[in-house]
Amino acid sequence: MAQCVQSVQEFIQDSFVPMVAVLCSEDAERVTRKNSLSFPELLRPFCRLTSEGHLRDPNNQVVVVKGLRISVTGINTRPPQTPEMHKLLSQAVSVCQPPEGSPANVITAGDYDLNISATTPWFETYRENFLQSMPASEHEFLNHYLACMLVVSSHEAVPTEQFLKLSQEQHRIQHSGEFTHPKWFNPNTLKYYVLLHDISEGDEQRAESVYEDMKQRYGTQGCYLLKINSRSGSTGADEQMPDPWSQYLHKTSIHSPVNVPLVFADGVSETHPLQLDQPTDAGYPSNNVSQSVNNVDVTRPEKQASVTSHTTPTPRGTCLTLNDHDHIRQFIQEFTFRGLLPHIEKNIRQLNDQLVSRKGLSRSLFSATKKLFGGGKVPEKSIAELKNTAGLLYPSEAPELQIRKMADLCFLVQHYELAYNCYHTAKKDFLSDQAMLYAAGALEMAAVAAFLQSGAPRPYPAHYMDTAIQTYRDVCKNMLLAERCCILSAEILKSQTKYSDAATLLIKMTTEDSDLRSALLLEQAAHCFINMRSPMVRKFAFHMILAGHRFSKAGQKRHALRCYCQALQVYKGKDWTLAEDHINFTIGRQSFTLRQPENAVAAFRHILINDSKQSAVQQAAFLREYLYVYKSMSQLTSDSSLPQLPLPCLHSSQTRVFFGHERRLAEGEKQAATHVSLDQEFDRDLSQLWRELEEQVVAVANRGTVPITFQPSQCCLNSQTDNLRYPLAVVEEPIIVEMVFRNLLKVPLALSALSLLWKFTPKDFSGPQVVCAPFFFYLARLKLLPHKTGELHVLGVVYNLGTGEVDNSEGSLAGDLMCVRGQQNLEIQGPRLNMTKEEKTSVKYGPDHRLDPIITPPMPLLEVFFINFPTGLLCGEIRKAWVEFVNVSAVPLTGLRVASTHPEFFTFGSATSDLTPVTPTAAEHCSAYKTVAMPPSVATVSLVSPAAFGVTSSDRPIVAEIPLSQGVLGPGEALQIPLWLRGPDREGVHEINFLFYYESTEKTAKLSHRVLRHTAFICASRSLSVKATASRSNTLHGRERESEERQEGEDKNGSMLVFVDVENINTSEAGVREFHIVQVSSSSRQWRLHKCINPVGDKDSKLASRERGKLCFKATRCRAEEATSEKYTFADLNLGNEQIVSSTTPCADFFFRSGLPSEPRRGGVSTGGASQMRRQSGTDEGVTNIVKKCSEVELDIIVLWKAYVVEDNKQLILEGQLHVALQTIGKEACSLSQKEEAQEMVLLKFKPDVPPPVSKPSLEQLSHLIKTCLHYPESYDHPFPQKSLCMVPVTLMLSNCSLAQVDVIVDLRHKTTSPESLEVHGSFSWLGQTQYKLQLQAQEVYRLSLKACFFQAGVYNLGTPRVFAKLAQTSAMCETSQQSAMPALIIINSV
Amino acid sequence: MQTAIMIVANYPLYIRSVPTQGELKFHYTVHTSLDVVEEKISGVGKALADQRELYLGLLYPTEDYKVYGYVTNSKVKFVIVVDSSNTSLRDNEIRSMFRKLHNSFTDVMCNPFYNPGDPIQSKAFDSIVSTMMVQAF
Repeated sequence: MAQCVQSVQEFIQDSFVPMVAVLCSEDAERVTRKNSLSFPELLRPFCRLTSEGHLRDPNNQVVVVKGLRISVTGINTRPPQTPEMHKLLSQAVSVCQPPEGSPANVITAGDYDLNISATTPWFETYRENFLQSMPASEHEFLNHYLACMLVVSSHEAVPTEQFLKLSQEQHRIQHSGEFTHPKWFNPNTLKYYVLLHDISEGDEQRAESVYEDMKQRYGTQGCYLLKINSRSGSTGADEQMPDPWSQYLHKTSIHSPVNVPLVFADGVSETHPLQLDQPTDAGYPSNNVSQSVNNVDVTRPEKQASVTSHTTPTPRGTCLTLNDHDHIRQFIQEFTFRGLLPHIEKNIRQLNDQLVSRKGLSRSLFSATKKLFGGGKVPEKSIAELKNTAGLLYPSEAPELQIRKMADLCFLVQHYELAYNCYHTAKKDFLSDQAMLYAAGALEMAAVAAFLQSGAPRPYPAHYMDTAIQTYRDVCKNMLLAERCCILSAEILKSQTKYSDAATLLIKMTTEDSDLRSALLLEQAAHCFINMRSPMVRKFAFHMILAGHRFSKAGQKRHALRCYCQALQVYKGKDWTLAEDHINFTIGRQSFTLRQPENAVAAFRHILINDSKQSAVQQAAFLREYLYVYKSMSQLTSDSSLPQLPLPCLHSSQTRVFFGHERRLAEGEKQAATHVSLDQEFDRDLSQLWRELEEQVVAVANRGTVPITFQPSQCCLNSQTDNLRYPLAVVEEPIIVEMVFRNLLKVPLALSALSLLWKFTPKDFSGPQVVCAPFFFYLARLKLLPHKTGELHVLGVVYNLGTGEVDNSEGSLAGDLMCVRGQQNLEIQGPRLNMTKEEKTSVKYGPDHRLDPIITPPMPLLEVFFINFPTGLLCGEIRKAWVEFVNVSAVPLTGLRVASTHPEFFTFGSATSDLTPVTPTAAEHCSAYKTVAMPPSVATVSLVSPAAFGVTSSDRPIVAEIPLSQGVLGPGEALQIPLWLRGPDREGVHEINFLFYYESTEKTAKLSHRVLRHTAFICASRSLSVKATASRSNTLHGRERESEERQEGEDKNGSMLVFVDVENINTSEAGVREFHIVQVSSSSRQWRLHKCINPVGDKDSKLASRERGKLCFKATRCRAEEATSEKYTFADLNLGNEQIVSSTTPCADFFFRSGLPSEPRRGGVSTGGASQMRRQSGTDEGVTNIVKKCSEVELDIIVLWKAYVVEDNKQLILEGQLHVALQTIGKEACSLSQKEEAQEMVLLKFKPDVPPPVSKPSLEQLSHLIKTCLHYPESYDHPFPQKSLCMVPVTLMLSNCSLAQVDVIVDLRHKTTSPESLEVHGSFSWLGQTQYKLQLQAQEVYRLSLKACFFQAGVYNLGTPRVFAKLAQTSAMCETSQQSAMPALIIINSV
Repeated sequence: MQTAIMIVANYPLYIRSVPTQGELKFHYTVHTSLDVVEEKISGVGKALADQRELYLGLLYPTEDYKVYGYVTNSKVKFVIVVDSSNTSLRDNEIRSMFRKLHNSFTDVMCNPFYNPGDPIQSKAFDSIVSTMMVQAF
């Protein structure tokens, strides 16, 4: 139970006070009326005595009466009827609201910190009013009138007569039996005669004389002269006068409840004083509250006139000075001490005497006779059916009632001990008589008296109270009494910190019949729970909710709201979402009905923004309610700034900003550069790739260095991009802001009329109407078009929010109703900083300037279109496409460059080649190659420098400059140039990125350049697989000499055979019919293809699917002057009638761009190797080099093919080229490099690699030093019968392949150890010197004449000579066996 | 017949009720019953706390329901609300239900991916509770 202003003792004492009736003459009433007060009202503020009173109890003990209060009321004051009483109480409660700045006490229980109003003044008000409006009952005498004041004005003609009249009137009221209502304590009521003297009007002398007369007549203790109205009312009211009535009279209507107009005489307006539309301002309880003033009419006591509500405050007591106040105070004191207390004392004595005399009979006998004779004093009791009812009535002079009376008197004068004894006795008597109502009353008061006894000789008998309450409620059906008893008991229990009992008691009292009472009691119970030693927070909350519910049922909306709010503190944020939602919803509703739309909106908002567990239907209801409340609120407040909307959830950090136009993707056959669009997901790797490309192109544009101020262009900003800088946007180019909304509800939301909020530039915006589906993300894109340069700040988004339900029946009208406009701010927090220690230890976020672009002056804007750009290519296929550059801005652009991740994929042609300005359509069916008609013959040779194709030294041409006429592309101008594409070598889908770079002609500081991105996807499908091997030709120089005498000089060991293995690996049935190899070209600095050996003739080799063919070519060394130059020799061998000039665009372009020219790459390798070898002895280095050189070949083969493709019943011819790099003799090279596959699985190594030991040249390499060749006649006829021995001359040719001196040992006798070779060889023998030791100079050819000797005819293998060689200067090395020559068979015929 | 099972550590970890429409009422009931549970726990002396019986018995009867409580040693509270008209459930049955519930709750807690304090979303736990509800009520 909440804290009260009064202590329990005070409260109980004040609840039971001596009652005094007032009977006024008309004149006297008139006198008081001057002050707008009736006589009882006049006295009321002074009714509490400040001094102590004394009286003696029957045992002559002095009883001290402290702080006594008396209650003075008009004689005809009636307790209100039940319905009126309810209204009155309800009004009293609703008027009393918690003051604004009430001291809240914070209670901490467990993890709850609750802010609870410490006091409940409304409850105290209720309690006070309730107790005071209790109807007087038969069974108790506490609120029966003890005395009556008879008031007569001195102005009266004959006051004594008037007194007499009033006295008779009083007697009539009390004894005639006409009036049931005012109940009197005992028959001889104390009459106190008061002469009211109006100082301002009356004659004081006369008054004094009348008073003297009265004193003689009634005794000095029975009368009083009260002088009031020291000044005339009309004279200016002293503002400083205190108004002691204010705190009492606002309760006027309750204190004098008769005011409630029962009879509306003479058509007084029917404005009821209890109408609930009273000003409910709690802060000013007094003046504004309408009051009805009782106009007591003595002569016609039944009739009341009602002074109805008037809003102007009536000044009260205007005719009274402070002196008058003192007079009144003195009067009350005099009355109490001289009149009332002695009267009570006398009565107690009297009653005590009666009881004692009656007790003369022994108690047991007394009760025995009572039982025996049925008790004459209990007349109705004999009737059996009444036995258990409360309908039992004692006559007023019954002895039990005398005890009770005495007890009540003792109680009133605070003699609690005696009172308790009497109550206790009475209780026993009543109980034995089964007079339940009386018994309950006695029990109740006994308990109270026991409690109030100072020094507490006995414990508080709580069970008395329980019994009393139960009896009142169940037996007597008197809820009012039960309630009073309950309130008293709870208050007492509370004071004894028995909160749990008090709560139980209070909760038990909640019934269906009175919502207000139930609400108040439940609230008090809740307060009991929270005040327990271990606070029961949850019970508190639950009962608060119950109380709130009852309050709202009782129409006490403010109290209901307060209860719910207090309960919410417990449920808030503890995951009890259903309960929380319920409370919030109720709070929202109550707040709304109380015209607190802000609170209502906040409460509803709370329901909606959380991840709710409510059903969709429920959510829809909440949403509608919210929208309705919100709408009505926004209508009330006509602020220009829109309120914040909570729905749907706006993910600020996911906001993306895009600068630039939305691109047209395709325009007819033109295909626009993809650039960047909002539809693309951000990819960190990709953006890094673009950044690198941009860096490269910027470096090229700035002659090799990247400026410090370089920042990569960012067209699309999101949470992952670097947003530390203010982004730059160009004037007249739109800025698109994409926001992510998320609907957490299960019901759809409709957003419409979205627009951006921004600072600075006033212009165009647009937004689509969208429906945000439940649980989905929705992206809204809003466009902003800046018209001026400056700084822009995007602040938020404004939109209409409505329910997404499409209501077919009502159409758009319903939608309009349920639609509110509001805004949400976009506040973007940057990434968390984590660099310095300070940042690491605290949580700090960096800035994010995504939404604060700087608008720069106009910049050129490039658009790029691709024409005839394929999506699918065969590997190595060459296709010609066109590219169109359009400057769509009003500013000229310059410095157009392009960078790509796949420079080998495309070429714009070499600078030397003539740009044939053929339109794309015209060139559609032409070959991409430049061709010359020529029959197949010996290779045509041309020399080309790689520099002409933009290839310089070792770097790959990532950046290419695009030539513009006069270097500038003017506004609106377009440029079309051809573009050759070559299908990538590997099959699959390739992503090819182009970055177009351009600048403005005038250098503006902010934006140095702009870029345009394009990503093309090319699907490459398999075409041909080309494998090539070179092998040293074993042809004899001698024979060669015969045919090509002229080349002898430079062509010492200078020819080899190139085998090109071509396989059609195209598996797709999609139309590719067959491949034709139309030409094979070579490109090298030292070698060139010389002649086609196979196929011969002018037919090109045809390969259908899965077919394979082998071509054989002869290659020769270039001439000396050719070989030394840096230029590459291109040799073309065409198999058909047309020769493709491979040394021009595009063939050579792609050749150089594909990175195949083997020299740079190999050079790199060899330099790497050399650096390693430098640590070794110089000889080793030399050896390796020499050895390597001799098997090295540097020849690139370009295979040009045509594919016949059927597509849409049309035959197409596709062209292409494949490159093979031959590096080593005997080693197969493939058009598909296998390198990457090998790299796929690299073992993770934790230790650094031990550098491989500098390899001595391997045996395999060493075995290539010497080329051997046997010259002999293929068949030899010999007449064996004549001559048994056949001698055949054989020449062994040894040629040194290396560039160093070689020591050679030739061993003819050598026999292989393998047994089968013995068998095959049969037997022949070499004659003459069988082992030679020779020294061969570099590239020297040496002929050795040998003689073989045969014994019989047959086939013999002559290839038995073994050749061992070692480099001359390396002594340490032993000779290595050289590759044996092929089996050399000789047929010896016997003739 | 209405029943509810809740597992609560001052904030709800798991709530299940049959039928679902009266859920708000159950929430209030269970939330309020936590005060009684706390009172009961604190009533036991400190020394006895270790050997405390986990089953708390009938917490309080309301007009329509009987509320039973159970507290683990880590002060996680289990509450079962049963229709008062259900006479088939005796104290022993409720006790064994709690024990079963506790066992499966322990299993849930053993899940390394379970973040203590999160609402329980285990399917296994769900099915155990479902079967329990079907059998018991």
